Amino acid sequence: MSFILEARDIRKSFPGVKALDGVSLGARGGSVHAVVGENGAGKSTLMKILSGVYRADAGEILLDGKIVEFASPRAAAEAGVVIIHQELNLAPALSVAENIFLGRLPARFCFVDRRKMERDARDLLDRLGHALDPRQDVSSLKVSDRQIVEIAKALSTGARALIMDEPTTALAADDVERLFAIIRTLAGAGTAVIYISHKMDELFRIAEEFTVLRDGKLIGRRAASETTPGELARMMVGREISYDRVEERGQSDARSNVELLRVESLSSPEAGAGRATRLSDISFNLRAGEVLGVAGLMGAGRTELLESLFGWRRTTGESRVEMGGRPLAVNDPRQAIRAGLAFVSEDRKAQGLALDLDVGGNITLARLKRFSRFGFIQAAREEEAAREFIARLGIKTPDTRAAAANLSGGNQQKIVLAKWLLTDPKILLLDEPTKGIDINGKAEIYRLIEELAARGLGVILVSSELPELLALSDRIIVLREGRLAGALDRSEATEERIIELATLRNEEGENEVARAAS
Amino acid sequence: MSWRLSETKKAKTKWRARRLKNLAAALGRRRIGRVELGRFKPFVGLIAVFALACAFSPARRGEIIFLDFGNLTDILRQVSEKGIIAVGMTFVILAGGIDLSVGSALAFAATLSSVMLMRGGYGTPETVIAVLAAGLLIGAINAAVITKGRIQSFIVTLAMMSATRGLARLVSGGSGVEIGYGAGGAPQSFASVGGKIGALAPVPALIFLATVAIAWVALNKTTFGRYVYAVGSNETVSRLSGVSVDWVKFGAFSICSLLASLAGIIHCAQLEQGNPNDGVAYELDAIAAVVIGGTPLSGGVGTVIGTLAGTLIIGVINNILGLNNVDANVQLLLKGVIIVGAVLLQRK
Repeated sequence: MSFILEARDIRKSFPGVKALDGVSLGARGGSVHAVVGENGAGKSTLMKILSGVYRADAGEILLDGKIVEFASPRAAAEAGVVIIHQELNLAPALSVAENIFLGRLPARFCFVDRRKMERDARDLLDRLGHALDPRQDVSSLKVSDRQIVEIAKALSTGARALIMDEPTTALAADDVERLFAIIRTLAGAGTAVIYISHKMDELFRIAEEFTVLRDGKLIGRRAASETTPGELARMMVGREISYDRVEERGQSDARSNVELLRVESLSSPEAGAGRATRLSDISFNLRAGEVLGVAGLMGAGRTELLESLFGWRRTTGESRVEMGGRPLAVNDPRQAIRAGLAFVSEDRKAQGLALDLDVGGNITLARLKRFSRFGFIQAAREEEAAREFIARLGIKTPDTRAAAANLSGGNQQKIVLAKWLLTDPKILLLDEPTKGIDINGKAEIYRLIEELAARGLGVILVSSELPELLALSDRIIVLREGRLAGALDRSEATEERIIELATLRNEEGENEVARAAS
Repeated sequence: MSWRLSETKKAKTKWRARRLKNLAAALGRRRIGRVELGRFKPFVGLIAVFALACAFSPARRGEIIFLDFGNLTDILRQVSEKGIIAVGMTFVILAGGIDLSVGSALAFAATLSSVMLMRGGYGTPETVIAVLAAGLLIGAINAAVITKGRIQSFIVTLAMMSATRGLARLVSGGSGVEIGYGAGGAPQSFASVGGKIGALAPVPALIFLATVAIAWVALNKTTFGRYVYAVGSNETVSRLSGVSVDWVKFGAFSICSLLASLAGIIHCAQLEQGNPNDGVAYELDAIAAVVIGGTPLSGGVGTVIGTLAGTLIIGVINNILGLNNVDANVQLLLKGVIIVGAVLLQRK
């Protein structure tokens, strides 16, 4: 069978970076083609070229065997190549049907033919095997449903090739199942699906073919039946790596019984939370040198918990937080930072990096005062500190003046970590610190967490990846609907146990709450 | 012997090359801070406009009038008021805001100056200090309402634009107040604000250039300047990183109104009159200069040197059109074209 969408010998450079160096790719109709590689391997650039966002410096793109050139994403979509980005592109204030047909609203005279539009939308959603009300506003949908709207939109344009960039990052397990069912339906109907993800187990369940990229070069192509996750991982990083890098952590010397943080009946106020989960009566403690894992489903209040501790969210009067035995009154991040807290947010672009500042400017942002005298920045000292952290965390950047926006996700995350380590924190709040980061980057961040805990920092780690949480945490607390559902010691924590606590409401769980508080 | 010579020669060339390279490296060494895009682009525009002006300038006795030293310093003098406002506007726009009240602030400052000097009988230093303090207060109120009331700067400063204009008219009773020197009038020292040092250096132009220099230092060398860029780039990240975003905005808006008042004092001295109806639409000219200078309205990137270039581009064009006796209305038309053209050219 021939390719529906094919790329031949694509080359693309950005100032100072060769993003793609002769990469080829072919996606057949009716099958799912996975593109894998570490962050910075060139996956996103390749997808952006295929979908008309960028233009290649050299090479050609073929659609159904004919050479095409897409001047814009719109032109690509009209030709039948649609990309669904990690960040969805929907207008939240418009309805499901309006979003699906945006730009091509069916019209009678010059009025929108609402009935036809909604009927067509329902047909499309039915074809995807999914009952969504076409009249509903997109803003009221959860992420997984929004994704389905995007897919329906792609389908409505008669897409021949669908590119999906990390579609499962924000999805819970059963939503992933549903998405896979939809992808299989699409592929069954003859669409070529190109699928990008870092999650190896997922890929083997959905993809039939793999293309591996590394440093902008094509490393190889494999059929799913002829390869293993191990082989692909080797191809991606260019050397042998073992999957369970994070070894059983010995009792570290720094971990003591010194209580760093004590949280008692932390709750959010009734009003003003918006769509965030309201926290209710959460109590736990954190010891020096300890990694405390926080588990829970999406919407369980994990992020809200970290943000409340960091003074980014309000808490009620009965909430009590003590740090080192003294009450901690934190009303804004400034006070939190001064008290020795640091918060690595889940959303790097919106809450982690100032993209108009360069690498150095981002690293020193939270502690600029340290490099200033009478308000004047001492450039040499700032440069020295930034360099030191770039070296210490192994941030791959040409120099301190490079634009943070041009670095890969893993390196951007390290910049955020560097920014916080520069403030000499006592407690590190990490929200999904390895989200969207490749294997190598993850391993490096794990090592860093271990190293920091060994030096006596307290770490509160929120993660949706249970193996990660289990490997790193000394203890794990589980949240469910804004409440503490239970606490598990390292020895008793298993994936099953955590999922049970996160989803079920049973008596044992309630007992566990009582135990956790003590 | 001969090979020895060539060897030393080679070494010498090598050494020279290395020294050149080191020198280039030292000159090009960049400090940490913000990402700089198209650093020299506004100046490319300025050089182009300058070259065009030379080409189209009328000549007298074989000399290009445009290049006459007196003419060039006069351009600087003419742009100084709006230029000073534009420097202040650069701070606000970089921090992600906008200030529409500067034209009214200029009128208020000019009117207050003339009223204090002519009707109040105050001396020059008291007047200048009081007017600048009043300006600072306008900016402080702007910033307080924006940060505490959580209202967009566009709306707050639109309201302030109206309120300040009204205040200016109230202060003078609605009409302009002429400045007269001599007995019972303003002290002679005030005239020097709008005058010249020696025969050639107009004081307003010198104040403008000094303002640019101080602003450059503030934006590039101080923590406040870095925070201005950080806030304009991403306010949430700045807040989460412990930057006092409210204070940064407070500083930016205060500087902006302060400089608008400074421009108002110069305006009063140059025109020998404080008129509450002056300075209309100056805010738009200032924004135009900032934007032509390469600072986008979204903030976070841009330079005050760019604003200087933007101001001069407008000034040179107005000057050359004036020298050729082109209708003032055509000048307006052309300015519109240039604003859009400059922004289009600066895009990648």
